Amino acid sequence: MRNLLIVIFLIPFSVYPQLSSFDFHSPENIKLFADHLFCEGDYLRAIEQYGLLKDHSVNDTTDFKMMLGYSKLGLYKESNKYFNGIDDKSNFYSDAYLLSLKNELLLEPKLIIASNVQSLDSIQLKSYRRITTISMLYEAELNIIREDFISPFDEDERNAVASFYDFKVDPNYKSPALAGTLSAIIPGSGKMYVGEWGDGVTALVVTSLFAFLAYDNFRTDHTTRAWIFSGLGAFFYTGNIYGSIASAQIFNAKIEFEFNDGLNLFLEQNNYFLPVYDFCK
Amino acid sequence: MTSVSKILLLLLFLWISKVNLFAQDSFDEQFNLAKKLYDEEKYFDAVTEFKRLLFFYDGDIYRYESNLLTGLSYKNGSIFSEAIQHLTLAELNSKNIDEIFIARLEIIKVNILRRTTARAFTLLDSLQNDSRFVNKIDEINYWRGWAYIFSDDWRNASSSFSAIQKDHQLSMLCDSVANDLYNPQLAKILSLVPGAGQFYTGEYVSGVISIGWNVLWGYLTINAFMEDRVLDGLLIGSLLWWRFYSGNIQNAEKFAIEKNLEKTNSALRYLQNDYKGSKP
Repeated sequence: MRNLLIVIFLIPFSVYPQLSSFDFHSPENIKLFADHLFCEGDYLRAIEQYGLLKDHSVNDTTDFKMMLGYSKLGLYKESNKYFNGIDDKSNFYSDAYLLSLKNELLLEPKLIIASNVQSLDSIQLKSYRRITTISMLYEAELNIIREDFISPFDEDERNAVASFYDFKVDPNYKSPALAGTLSAIIPGSGKMYVGEWGDGVTALVVTSLFAFLAYDNFRTDHTTRAWIFSGLGAFFYTGNIYGSIASAQIFNAKIEFEFNDGLNLFLEQNNYFLPVYDFCK
Repeated sequence: MTSVSKILLLLLFLWISKVNLFAQDSFDEQFNLAKKLYDEEKYFDAVTEFKRLLFFYDGDIYRYESNLLTGLSYKNGSIFSEAIQHLTLAELNSKNIDEIFIARLEIIKVNILRRTTARAFTLLDSLQNDSRFVNKIDEINYWRGWAYIFSDDWRNASSSFSAIQKDHQLSMLCDSVANDLYNPQLAKILSLVPGAGQFYTGEYVSGVISIGWNVLWGYLTINAFMEDRVLDGLLIGSLLWWRFYSGNIQNAEKFAIEKNLEKTNSALRYLQNDYKGSKP
């Protein structure tokens, strides 16, 4: 009886070590570890671990997670390769399709042409309409009226979307040719036209000053000094014309950059209108 | 108990011990694999294997060293925020004072490297004020010196190194850099005499050009006043001479700052490539 009790007492000790003897690289454990890395935001390692899984352990969830992981890493081309492997009967197909649209937009900002919309549910369809509408901003010209453009968006998004639309329709560019011409007629006025009032007034004062000094010295027969001031005046005059043209070009590049930057920030903040996927609950 | 029963029980114990050892082996093996990858400088794979161990392992044995080496792997890959995160975990899982000191020192080194030196100083102060580390004061001073170097404060860096040893190699280096640096304020003051600030910073051509411009506009201004052309004199003096005179002062300060940057960069290059002692 005592022996039996001893053996019963020892059984848990023999079971525990067997459980502790661990196969880190079994498919189940690789998948558990990959899921953990994915939730930790370590997408590169998560993708590497999902890639180690053999065919029987891979499913549409792992494929979609790899697609999502690559997209989060900014590797949009690689991300879209996984879209091709997701079956159109899969639960993730529609989400993967929307994600592929985002990837395409980030790879090459251009108008998204409609396709594959039959499988989308109402929420996905709303995401789809917003992402395709916003992609119109990447076209050279907008062929849609303002109301139709902003209609797919939520109330809190409409102000921002409307301002993007307004910029695209009337970008308020400054003409470099006009800026140069204005400065040729009245020094500094080209800079003022571009909005650089301080530079414009300075250019007007300095050029006028040199012109006056040149005139005054010619008048009093100080020809050497007069020629020095004439040369300096001519230098500032032509420099100001060139500067006004450059300022207009810089102004245009700046507002173009701010538009693109603002649009990208808006899209990032709204996750390109995609649903939030939470695999880590 | 019969002798047969005793033998059976003994065999049972031996079997249990064997399996226990085997179980320990699988985690040991995983740790050794990760450590080997770290030693081979395969930091990406080392991090993966350490993370795998930490994910599946519930005990405390490997937690400190795995987090420490994960942090160091991230540090070697210049991923400093992740490095700090794991080094902090290492400190939280440390089992003795030495481990706390090592982990915190590594956090300080990462802060030095990413130039968040204010944080490095705070951590160094916390070590210095901790009575458990009174015998580590030389090491604390050594890294304080490095934190000063990365704060571009070469005089205090020299003081920190000389607190370890009067003629410490790094103390002498820091002193020589500090002595070599130009004083931007002095350059500005010297430039009250046009060109002098540029001469002080060794920019002789720029100094001569500066003298030339100031002589030209100064002559034209004074000449205009002497010939009673007061408006000419006021305009040339205020818009041209003053412009070149103030430009000459700004120019001298700029040269001093640029030259100082060259000198400190050259010292940092020496420390990075040729200095044989411990580096962050």
